[in-house]
This record gives sequence, C-alpha cells and structure tokens, in this order.
Amino acid sequence: MTRMIERQRHIMDFTLAALLRRKGKNGALLSVYTLLVFILASILFFTHALKHEAALVLNEAPEIIVQRTMTGRYQTIPVAWSDRIRQINGVISVHPRLWGYKYDKDFLANYTMMVPAGNPPEPGSIDIGSGISRMRGANRGDIIAFAGHDGQPRSFTIRNIFDSESQLVTSDLILLSEKDYRDFSGIPEDQSTDLALQVRNPREYATIAEKISRMYPDSRPIVRTEIQRTYDALFGWRSGLMIVIFAAVALAFVIFAWDKATGLSAEEQKEIGILKAVGWETSDIMLMKFWEGSIISLTAFLLGTILAYAHVFFTSAALFAPVIKGWSTLYPTFRLTPFIDFGQVATLFFLTVVPYTVTTIIPSWRAATIDPDTVMR
Amino acid sequence: MISARNISKVFNAGRPNEFTALHGVSLDVQLHETTVLKGPSGSGKTTLLSLIGCMARPTTGRIFLNEREITSLPERFLTEVRRSTFGFIFQQFNLIKGISALENVMAPAYPTGEKFSLLRRRAMETLEMFDLGKRADARIEWLSGGEAQRVAIARALIHNPAIIIADEPTTHLDTRLSHEFMDIMGDLKARGTTIILASHDPLVYGSDLVDRVVEMRDGQVVDGESAL
Repeated sequence: MTRMIERQRHIMDFTLAALLRRKGKNGALLSVYTLLVFILASILFFTHALKHEAALVLNEAPEIIVQRTMTGRYQTIPVAWSDRIRQINGVISVHPRLWGYKYDKDFLANYTMMVPAGNPPEPGSIDIGSGISRMRGANRGDIIAFAGHDGQPRSFTIRNIFDSESQLVTSDLILLSEKDYRDFSGIPEDQSTDLALQVRNPREYATIAEKISRMYPDSRPIVRTEIQRTYDALFGWRSGLMIVIFAAVALAFVIFAWDKATGLSAEEQKEIGILKAVGWETSDIMLMKFWEGSIISLTAFLLGTILAYAHVFFTSAALFAPVIKGWSTLYPTFRLTPFIDFGQVATLFFLTVVPYTVTTIIPSWRAATIDPDTVMR
Repeated sequence: MISARNISKVFNAGRPNEFTALHGVSLDVQLHETTVLKGPSGSGKTTLLSLIGCMARPTTGRIFLNEREITSLPERFLTEVRRSTFGFIFQQFNLIKGISALENVMAPAYPTGEKFSLLRRRAMETLEMFDLGKRADARIEWLSGGEAQRVAIARALIHNPAIIIADEPTTHLDTRLSHEFMDIMGDLKARGTTIILASHDPLVYGSDLVDRVVEMRDGQVVDGESAL
C-alpha cells in the first residue's frame, strides 16, 4: 500500500516537473482552457442567476391582477371595482395597487414607483432600491427630488434603502405613501393602477378571471401563469441567446481538445520512449499522462469557475452586459444575487475536465505502447 | 548466460519499406564478461542490443536469460526483467532535459514506489561515485559532455543491474572522455557486472577490458573471436 502511494507520489512529482519544464506551451494551453471554462461557466452562472431572479419575482407576484383597458390600451382602474370583485366566490382579498414608472432623464434611468401594501413610508419620505442609492449617491436621511406629472419637483427624505434578496426586483424601486404617489402621478383618489387578487384555489384562477371579464368587459385579468409565461419569454430569450454562445464555446472546446488529443510532440514521444527504456511500464506512462491531464484541467476548471463567479456576481457580467443588457440605459445597474447550482457546476466539470483528461490519455497510450527501442535509433 | 537462438527482426513488415535488420542470428553472451558487438552502421548491432535488453521482441527466434525464455513474456514482465536486470547507456545519453541530474538518475526507479528519502540517498551515492555530488541539482543542459555521460551511466546503475548495455557509447566523446568511459566500465566489470557494448570504435573493441568481440555485418554474425 505504501509503495503504491509512493509510486503515485513519484509519478505526480515527475509530472509536475514535466509541466513546469514546458512553461510556455503549458501556460498557453492553460490560458486557452481557462478562458473557455470561464466563458462556459459565466454563461451558466448568468443564465441561472437570471432564472433565479425570475423565480423570486414570481414568488411575490399576485395570483391574479386585474387591469382596465380602453381600446386595447391600458387605463387606470376604478377602486370601486374591488368591492364587486371581492364578492366572487373563491376570492380572498382584492387590493387596489398604485404603481408606475418614472423616467429620470438626468440619470438616464427608469424607476419603478409603488405604494406598498403594508408599512408605507410617511408622507414626505420614501424607501429606495440600492441601484438608485448607488446611482444618485443618496443615503438614508438624505433628501432627494423627482419631477412629478406636472413637471414640478417633489422632495422626499430617504427612510430606508433595500438590501433585498433580488436586486432585479428592488434595484430601481421607490416606495412612497399613497398621498405622495397620487400627488406625484396625478392619479385621482377613486382610481388605482390595477387590482391584486388573492385566490383560495389555483384551479379557480381561470373561472374567476372569466367572471371578472364578464363583470367588467373592459377589464383584463392576468393570472400568475400568464405572468410566468411573460417572464419565461423575457428570461428565456436571454437564456436562448446564451445557449447559442454556449454551443459555440463548447464547439471551440471540442476542437481544442481534439487538437490536443491528436498531437503529441516529438519531444514528448521521445521522452516517453526514454522512460520506457529505463524501466517504466505502459501503465506508468498512462498514469503520468492522467495526472498531467488532471492537473491542467482541474487548474483550468477552478480558475475559470472562480473568474466566472467574480465576473457574473461582482462585475454584473460586465463582458456580456453590452450584448444582453441593451436596455440598461433605462435601468439602474443591478447586481445579480450570487447563486450557484451545484448540479450545473458538476455538468460543467464533466463537460470540460473529463473529456480533456480522456483525450490526452489516448495519444499517450498510443505512444506508450510503442517499443522502447525507438529511442535507440 | 544470455542465449539468442535464430533471431530475426523485420521492421515495417508487409509495407513497401520493409527492412530486415537481423537474419537468423544465434549468439551466447557469458555473464561477468565484456562483449563488444562490432560492425559498420546498419550491421544490426543496435537491433541485437535492444532485443537482448528486452526493449523489443524478435520477429522470429528466442532469447534466453539464464535459461529463462524472455521473448514471449507479456509486456509487464518484460519491463520488470528490463528494469531489474539491465542498465542502458544510449548513444546520445537520452537524458531528460529540464530536470536535474539527480532527478534523471532517480527517474527509472519512480514506478517502483521506493521510499523517496531512500531513493534520493541511493541516487546521490551513485552520483558521488562518479564525482557528481556537487552537480546533482544542476539541470542537464548545464552539464558538460563528460558530466552528462557520467549522469547517464549513474542512471543506468540506479537499479544495480547485473548487465550493462551500451550502444555506441564513445561516438560523441573525445579520446580522454572515451578512456574515462572505458575506465568506469572496467570498475563495473571488476564488481562482476556483465557489459555488452555495440561499437565500431577501435578504442572500445581494442580495449584490454573486452573478453569477446562479435563482428556483425548485414544483420548477421560473421565472426565471434575471444579477446587476447
């Protein structure tokens, strides 16, 4: 047993020395490999983080939202509708919501303004998302002003800054009191943006939506599954784009591994011949090549994955941003919540480390089975 | 005794560039003696050496080592015989570049799983035998021709082989280094090591050290005389 461990140790030591001897070649190899893992891992982390954010958004979405339309265009909804809708069997509660968007031309950002259902700020004060806080350099207790619907600025004191689990949801959010919102947006007292419904049984969503449509023909009930479809389309579109990039990089990896697999330099072949001539078996050579492949691929995998993690979660995927966050000019910068699916990391491991290690063993096996007398000639 | 019986070796069999290096060679090599295979380039010396040293298998014929037939052994056992019985000194030394003299000497023993400290001590002792203790950590590229030659000999001795096989060992050496090489072989012979050399250098086959010269030509043994 001790001899077996010593044998592994010796061969691993020799492999490390062999790798260091060819610093330039192996350094270049490691760099390319790390870059490919970095891109693949960035894509995986990014798409997964987006999906995770979407799931968080949906968790908090109302079961049914009722909007009002006029000739197909969105309108504010009368608060009085909520009383009749509440009478429908299966509806637990109806909550008129006040929310909307505000474009800030000075900062080229779009804010979401909302009156929260519970614990609203006092009139004259607001809660803001971390994205707005960062962008405007505003902290708790500071006074911040926004131009209202009539162009006149309104000043608010910052009561709180969110540090929510999902920055995608809260980064651009401003919470304010109903009084302030109505004054700011110009929405009359008897109107609201939409109605949020709580429903007892998910199987009744469709029936209740239909009843609302009959009750108010100009209403548009949106059930959670429809919202889900919207988000799927939104994030799925980006994920789809990512998959195209993923496929291209995966193909590059296959070409890279294949190139490595089919080429064993004359110097390496000679070295294998020497080792065999002085007493190494084919299995010893294979073990050496296995360690060589493992050391390179594991190092590249770890480096690439760590760099990708930093890229996606610390720099908000800065390299991908120009492509996939084209609307970022209308949105305060948000940071994705660090989230890793170990199943995906394992998939990445098996897609990169295993094929590379296998492809380096095959040519070495071919070289290792050559008679050692080739070095005599 | 090493006995080769009716040995033939064909390279690239069945291809247009098929080449027969040995034609039915039979030869006995006595242990504890120094035997030189002499002949011009292409006479089959190196091929015969590599077959005797278990580096390759003959196309036909058999080789016996102390009456044990070794030609039909599976690769693993053949490697074991090669490792435990033979030490090789190559024409161009074939040292591994980029690593130290000490690591080169230790490399053949890595697969045996010998304890590192013991192996290192043994390798150092072998290098010191050749006055190379101070150059142990020097990379191969930094060694002089004579030092590299002695490292190659030290490497061949790391397993305490019973038989040393050297292929054209003096081809790349000047006269002084060639004499030095033969002196080292003399010391090994004095300790009971069997030495088999392939050479067409008169300094080698004319040496007092040599017990027997086997002359080869065109893949055949044409003469096998005993040294005076």
